[in-house]
Amino acid sequence: MRIAALVKVAMDPNLMKVEPSGEVSLRQTAMAIAEYDRNAVQAALDLRDKLGGQVAALSASTWGMSSERRKDYEAALREALAMGVDEAHMVLDDSLTGVPLDTARALAALARSLGGFDVYIASEGSSDMVSGQVAPMLAAILGLPAFTYVKRIEPEGGSLRLTRDLEDALETLRASPPLVMSVTGESSKPRLPTLMQIRRAFSKPLKFYSLADLGVSPSGRARRTALRALVQKRKNVYIDGSKPDEAASKLIAALAEEGVIRA
Amino acid sequence: MSRVVVAGRNPQDVSSAIGFAKMIADASGSSVVAVALSGGDELGRAVAGIASEAYAISGSGHAPELMLEALGRVAGPDLYAVVSPALKDLTDALARFSAGAGIPMLTEVTEFARGAGGEVTLRRAAMAGRAVAEYSVVPPFAATVAPGRFPAPQPSGTIEVRRLDVGARGPEVLGVEPKRREGVDISSADIVVGVGRGFRSKEDLSLAFRLAELLGAAVGCSRPIAADYGWLPEDRWIGISAKKIRPKLYIALGISGAPQHMAGAMDSKLIVAVNKDKNAPIFQYADYGVIGDLYQVVPALIRRLEELRR
Repeated sequence: MRIAALVKVAMDPNLMKVEPSGEVSLRQTAMAIAEYDRNAVQAALDLRDKLGGQVAALSASTWGMSSERRKDYEAALREALAMGVDEAHMVLDDSLTGVPLDTARALAALARSLGGFDVYIASEGSSDMVSGQVAPMLAAILGLPAFTYVKRIEPEGGSLRLTRDLEDALETLRASPPLVMSVTGESSKPRLPTLMQIRRAFSKPLKFYSLADLGVSPSGRARRTALRALVQKRKNVYIDGSKPDEAASKLIAALAEEGVIRA
Repeated sequence: MSRVVVAGRNPQDVSSAIGFAKMIADASGSSVVAVALSGGDELGRAVAGIASEAYAISGSGHAPELMLEALGRVAGPDLYAVVSPALKDLTDALARFSAGAGIPMLTEVTEFARGAGGEVTLRRAAMAGRAVAEYSVVPPFAATVAPGRFPAPQPSGTIEVRRLDVGARGPEVLGVEPKRREGVDISSADIVVGVGRGFRSKEDLSLAFRLAELLGAAVGCSRPIAADYGWLPEDRWIGISAKKIRPKLYIALGISGAPQHMAGAMDSKLIVAVNKDKNAPIFQYADYGVIGDLYQVVPALIRRLEELRR
């Protein structure tokens, strides 16, 4: 079975850096595989272990800086390779600005250029933007069925039994490849790579493509025009909790002073 | 006349996003078209006076595919926008519709403004609520909004609800298991006490419930507590893919401050964190950060409040 794990190289919101202009720094903010995309990778590996085949990681840049941060993009993809993915392919192009439609079109073109896959696994949303739409968009572009918010994947004969985790119910469906799915953070336990796996990752194939290489261009229908950091209005007052009773009195007095509790 | 389609699984969904649809329609001189997968007459009562057309879909199968087919039939050539509340089946259907039609989509939009030259500006939260992303978009476009974010006008009068049969759609559904609910609404609570992985067992959560009782607070939780351990039902889960809260006081106990959690709590007026790890990201977001063991700090808070309440 040919399996594609869709991996976003995302900015880490907890390590966000800000330019003097107030824009989020695309140059300096740390990047890594989006948190739930590790679940997508693990789900792809688990499926390969059960059914045999190969897993390719597919990615498309959304933050530009293709030359300045190429090493960071590469490091993130090496991490997917270290987790056990067989090969990695990334569309790295500054004209991709994180418009999900354009991301999905780039990924579809990349997948087609690689001959297509039986199962595409993305996550329910990326940690930096949480747009949550690239998987169903990819399905529509490739003309495949989509199964979103999948929490459980159970191979059953030639088909898959998929459980979707919705707001008010768990819904179980029968699915036959080829298909696209997005998985939740509970769908698998991503395993940390061993040192041996990390070493081996450096000899696995990792290729970059431009949009021109794939013969596609952005839709031109939308573009990201700003990413402004919000000014932190938090007070950041620290209270030493090693003397619990003192800390409790201090905190309760402060909250009463703020007028949010009655004391 | 151009059209703004508002989609929902039921009339309540439609009502929760129709304020947004109406705002876009008014700004662009469009009419509002309502589409729901259930609730014929009820849909009419929910949208009368706001929408100029209403469609109740009939058919059998799976919600996203039924909605996808319905959108294809009602969108028409004069589509200006398709909107829905940010719910999973609807986000799925709108994304597939958009990509199929080659139109851009943004989820959980917080602001809409019409610009010069027909482009629109849409904004949404990014970076776990620490930044705002702005997009310039050429209509037609698709967008989801947090349910109820834009106030809906009062329905008035009557509207004819047309039936739209879309046949059988989607994959074979093997089973549907409703989730356990407590009917707690943490999103409207004035004070919320949040519990996270710092709690070592389900029984220990009684500490948080006692503190909440003394404060008149609701108890919420981070993802692992609801989704991994199942110690609390999902209607108490605070986060980007769960409930968003906006209390005047949020007290996070043993919560590290993962971006997905914080995005659901950013609108809290005042944030207090209790965590023994002084490097926990939650302290960046906290007005008051108690660096200490919740197993000592929370009982001390309870004792102090009991003293004061006596």
